[in-house]
Amino acid sequence: MFKKLIEESTGRSPWLFHINAGSCNGCDIELVSVLTPRYDAERLGFKLAGSPRHADIVVVTGPVTKQSLPRVLRTISQVPEPRCIVTMGSCPQSGNVFRGSYSVAGPLSKYVPVDVDVAGCAPKPEAVIDGLALAAKILKEKRGRMK
Amino acid sequence: MTVILEALRYLGYVLVFPGFLFCFLAGMLLCGIDRKLVAKMQKRVGPPILQPFYDFFKLCGKETIVPAAAERISFMLAPLLGLAALVVIQLFIPVFSFTAFYGMADIIVILYLLLIPAISIIMGGAASGSPYAGVGLSREMVTIISCELPLVLVLLAVAKTVGSAMGTGLCFSLSDIAEYQEINGSLITRISMLPAAAAMLLVIPGETGSHPFDTAEAETEICEGLLAEYSGAALGVFKLSHAVKMLTLSSLFAALFLGGLGTGILVLDALLLFLLCAGITAVSISLVHAVTARLKIEQIFKFYWTVVSLPALLSLVLAWYGL
Ligand code: SF4
Repeated sequence: MFKKLIEESTGRSPWLFHINAGSCNGCDIELVSVLTPRYDAERLGFKLAGSPRHADIVVVTGPVTKQSLPRVLRTISQVPEPRCIVTMGSCPQSGNVFRGSYSVAGPLSKYVPVDVDVAGCAPKPEAVIDGLALAAKILKEKRGRMK
Repeated sequence: MTVILEALRYLGYVLVFPGFLFCFLAGMLLCGIDRKLVAKMQKRVGPPILQPFYDFFKLCGKETIVPAAAERISFMLAPLLGLAALVVIQLFIPVFSFTAFYGMADIIVILYLLLIPAISIIMGGAASGSPYAGVGLSREMVTIISCELPLVLVLLAVAKTVGSAMGTGLCFSLSDIAEYQEINGSLITRISMLPAAAAMLLVIPGETGSHPFDTAEAETEICEGLLAEYSGAALGVFKLSHAVKMLTLSSLFAALFLGGLGTGILVLDALLLFLLCAGITAVSISLVHAVTARLKIEQIFKFYWTVVSLPALLSLVLAWYGL
């Protein structure tokens, strides 16, 4: 019963940690708008955590530049299990307008398993909330498979 | 036989009411109500009232990472120490006419016990070896010092008022304060106590470390400060402590200023206490949270030692002249 309780709670309280991997800042602003009174992602339990140790879902924005890659990987490895990785915007998926640049090391899925991709440049807040809700569901399944 | 029964009764006090179980449920509910109210004040839908429970159980199911640089034992013990101290305080605070451990502790003991949660979080932060925790640690210490002066002044004012009525000079016993209010009505009805009550309302958010006095855990600037390295169940216990601290301080307020409203039936009294705590939290934590932005640490210090201390001092002076 306790395990069920934990599993249920995991899906209802996903805390986010945001990593900027060389983004143009468009997606970063859009992510913040998701938490404003208008879209209020907190009603689903989402909360922006200040430290990767507190997070459940890692949101990566930007095309993953060579400079940021080691930091991104290190930060992700600091997030305790179960965790989900969400890419936001087209940049971390394909490189978007930065594709082919000498400084871009992406896409992110070359280095870590990505759970949810939210496409768009920048994605609409509705799409972001949808993606995050999907990630919360995956998180719950991952917790169910633990132990 | 009677010894065993007595022991069982005290065990019940410690584990169920007003000990662990009550603290857990009521504290978490208060925290949920607070978050919902803040959301409503900001015109949001807000999280469900049960959100703190979800957060807690989720954290129980997460991996707990102990950083390589951390001092393992104190890192893991610190959260439990803080929680235990808060539950002990709750045992000493009278629920109107009922006190679990009667006549054993007075305000001074509570004053000391209130420091332990803060010290435990400082200990845990220091043991984690994170530089962010180092910054948070020094800020937390300043916050404690800031809150201490007005809190002591408020307690002295109450002690003087009750003490001069009882003819004992200063009365530090919480049970006596509860008894006095039982006979003479709540202290908040006395004009001389109003400034002290207002000061106490402002001390509560500082002591619990909630907005705008949360510089020690500022998540946007120093990565949650003292808690930066905590994860999993240990973090969950700290979150629980934070919730219980809200309950402890608001029920201390109720015991000091709103006594004498009890009905004599324990279940009803407990319910009434919880409702009063919710009201106090709404005014002193949620409202203040919703209308302010985070202060800088030196502003907190200045604020507490002037704006909050002055009304408390005024109350003390009025009480001294028997008003
Ligand atoms: S997807 Fe578009 S808005 Fe987002 S970081 Fe890339 S270029 Fe900027």
